[in-house]
Amino acid sequence: MRTLTYYPGCSLKTSSKFYETSIREVFSAYDIGLKELDDWSCCGASAAHTINETIAHALVARNLSLAEQENYPLFAPCSACYNRSKITNERLRADKELRDEVNRANEPLKCLGTLEVKNIIEVLSEYAGVERIARKIAYDLSGLKVVPYYGCVLTRIMNMETFDDKENPTSMDTLLWATGAEVAEWPFKMECCGASKTLTNKETTLRLSSSIMDMAITMGADAIVTPCPLCQLNLDILPYLGRGARNLPVLFLSEIFELALFGKLSGAGSHIIPVDEAIKKVIKVKTINTYEQRKNNGDD
Amino acid sequence: MNDLSFLNEMEKASGEKISGCYQCYRCTIGCPVVADMDLYPHRVIRYIVLGERERVLTSKTIWTCLQCVTCSVRCPNDIDIAHVFDALRKIAVKEQKEAETDTWKFDQYFMDSVKKHGRLHEIETVLRYKIEKKDFFGDAKMGMGMFIKGRMGILPHNIKDRKGLKEMFKRLEDKKIGG
Repeated sequence: MRTLTYYPGCSLKTSSKFYETSIREVFSAYDIGLKELDDWSCCGASAAHTINETIAHALVARNLSLAEQENYPLFAPCSACYNRSKITNERLRADKELRDEVNRANEPLKCLGTLEVKNIIEVLSEYAGVERIARKIAYDLSGLKVVPYYGCVLTRIMNMETFDDKENPTSMDTLLWATGAEVAEWPFKMECCGASKTLTNKETTLRLSSSIMDMAITMGADAIVTPCPLCQLNLDILPYLGRGARNLPVLFLSEIFELALFGKLSGAGSHIIPVDEAIKKVIKVKTINTYEQRKNNGDD
Repeated sequence: MNDLSFLNEMEKASGEKISGCYQCYRCTIGCPVVADMDLYPHRVIRYIVLGERERVLTSKTIWTCLQCVTCSVRCPNDIDIAHVFDALRKIAVKEQKEAETDTWKFDQYFMDSVKKHGRLHEIETVLRYKIEKKDFFGDAKMGMGMFIKGRMGILPHNIKDRKGLKEMFKRLEDKKIGG
């Protein structure tokens, strides 16, 4: 059993509660333990740094300093939380002046910036591992064609090495491949969904998210898969934003794992775009497509 | 290029080496919302160098930006253009020159909610914004739909140490704008 300090962020407690449930179910299958950070607060997401950058850092530093006392790596499943945590962590470690200023504001809490911050792709790749993922498959996903949608802020982080290529990431493709799903190569991996403009400029989100949906349909996909709760929501509310055309279900990365492990989705009822069609493609055959067999067949 | 004061001001405010730009247009070409902008991103950068302060601060562009950071990641001179826009927003608001007020207003309501509860209270933030905009029914259907799906909470999530959090805000808020 390996343990991580879990920083849910606001989304995983409200609009994407089912993402948390899904993560917990999948992680426990791989013996990854989560210890929720006590009394965590919002990371400030896209709003804080626009209003006041020092406050944005201090908000994140508050959580980081609480997590530093725990001594486990910090796991942030939300892309915005991960992005902000990563940036502040690095900045505070490198910039003593900023660190002192932020720590003075957060007194008595103290952040050193020494924490390891991880997203869901990293955790699944490193802690579960492609081989163990493939071995544990209990349902055949080969009939399900998915497009991996990373979203903006997971890898686009300035001034630091990121866990994957900033503009053409492949780590989630590998994970999806390991679950046995058919993964399509597509050009919209990193296209912006409209982010936080959903309320202030609905037309922008509708246009951008709609073109992502259109491209996924053109690729012949059955579902879009993303690790980011904001991307998931923006795409999932497309029917409400005024899109009349066909929509594909938008699944969280952990939900594909749920399908591969348990053959069902615990949060199926929380999806606005129905997921039934996609689930149907999964349950038809009871696994046999194991790692060894695929290796023997030369599929990899 | 007689007056470098605006360039200096912006390089200081953003911490970015704006003068390193050689106008390759990569930022503009990669921008997903460039069609909605009144000034192309590479031109904003150039106008900063040329000292066209008013033109830049009153531009729609800095508010159209989604902060997707595509431009920044692609810049061959490592200028974080999205960050420069973010810095411009702060100055524009301070001098009441902003071409659009919605983004700032929403971000501010977002922060008010975080300051009060420690975590974002989505429905309170959205309703405050809707009331301010006098748009009561625009997204009512979406709100109801999300509520039925269990994706919209009613009650706020309060953290225990709200006192400490408020103290942090107080210590930093009036100190300086932007940081």
